[in-house]
Amino acid sequence: MNTFFDFIRKYNYFFVFLLLEAVSFTLLFNFNSYQGSVWFTAANSAVAEVNGVYESGVSFVRLREVNKDLVHRNVLLQQQNDRLRKALQEAGHHPSETEVLLREQLGTLSLISATVVSNSSERANNYLVIDKGTAEGVTPEMGVVGGGGVVGIVYLTGPHHSLVIPITNRKSSLSCRVRGQSYFGSLQWEGKDLRLAHLDDIPRYAKVNKGEIVETSGYSAVFPPGLFVGRVVGVGNSSDGQSYKLNVRLGTDFATIRDVEVIATPYKVEIDSLKAKAAERDAAAAASGNLPQ
Amino acid sequence: MIQTVVSRIFWFVLLVLLQALVCNHIHILGYATPLPYIYFLLILPGNTPRWLYILLGFVLGLLIDASCNTPGVAAATTTAGGLLTPWLLHLFAPKDYDENTPLLPSVHTMEWSAFLRFATAVTVLHCLLFFCLEAFNLFHWPDVLINTLGSSALTILFIAAFELIRNEK
Repeated sequence: MNTFFDFIRKYNYFFVFLLLEAVSFTLLFNFNSYQGSVWFTAANSAVAEVNGVYESGVSFVRLREVNKDLVHRNVLLQQQNDRLRKALQEAGHHPSETEVLLREQLGTLSLISATVVSNSSERANNYLVIDKGTAEGVTPEMGVVGGGGVVGIVYLTGPHHSLVIPITNRKSSLSCRVRGQSYFGSLQWEGKDLRLAHLDDIPRYAKVNKGEIVETSGYSAVFPPGLFVGRVVGVGNSSDGQSYKLNVRLGTDFATIRDVEVIATPYKVEIDSLKAKAAERDAAAAASGNLPQ
Repeated sequence: MIQTVVSRIFWFVLLVLLQALVCNHIHILGYATPLPYIYFLLILPGNTPRWLYILLGFVLGLLIDASCNTPGVAAATTTAGGLLTPWLLHLFAPKDYDENTPLLPSVHTMEWSAFLRFATAVTVLHCLLFFCLEAFNLFHWPDVLINTLGSSALTILFIAAFELIRNEK
């Protein structure tokens, strides 16, 4: 028995090592999902505070670059605006009910400006932390856009910070279409280059050329349809050969992203509750044995 | 003694801030990220109790994790670093060193070649473990290897620079 205690006394450091490694691995396994990231970033306000001060310094230094980007974007939008106005004048037809609904939805969009305070852009599962939270009206599943186009979707919110899953996260999947065509697919990040993603499930009979614009399809209620995502740089085959897989160069540079806007769509709740109601009614109909009329 | 403790605390704070604010944003070619915070473990006095080595490694890793969003990865790595560093220090310590006075590892007490070999051994092991834990599978082993080599090279550069600055005084 004595030798046993001597053994423990002599190698006490090894037991300290085992204990602390166990703690480390518990952290590793428990917190390496998004919940953990939030605990270490958004919830850890002290660290977020330091990051905020640091980022405000950096964003000041980069103002010149951001300004150039904004001017460029502004010109593009003005051109687009002119084009759309002309198209609207030419159209002049009686709008269908869907169109009225769509315009109503776009008109009520309000934007919440935010700054990225923490940005991991080197891992497989990237995410951003922005300095706006529930206090400013940000709620989960709101869309986030930047000067270069779509950025990502709000995943979790704290009182003053929110965690955003950007397009450059392997778990992210965004419903997109090619501008001017109705074929849509899901946009996923390649996992290597921060500027490259691919759009899956485009049917083989679709005619897609290099340089065409990829935009949001609007099927998810997170983003309104028609927001710029990126441009097609190559057309390839999907792994099963059944459809096209488009290589897309993203409009947003995630390595230097600073200023973003959160899209606060008031109809998200309404659409979701409608969907839930429909599902409920279907379930009730199935339970009573009647097919829904 | 007190001076050594104060100086090590100073290095601890400096290295954590340096990692969080500067080094974590360096990604040369998307691979090489310097992890110079293990310099703290390198320069701990040789007579530090081994459990303290491990505990300090753990605390260092935990702070790095909190500021760099790598929950558990750095903590697990630096804890292992705390276990291995005294062994490696013993291995590379000068043979003619007086056993009775504590060895303060630096280029003064160990000469450049021995200190750099010691630093390289600790850094490469540390980087390898760090990137293995971060990737957590062996399918991307070429990436892990490039990461390890690139980051080790950068980290050793940082450590050599720290040594030059520290011994300037």
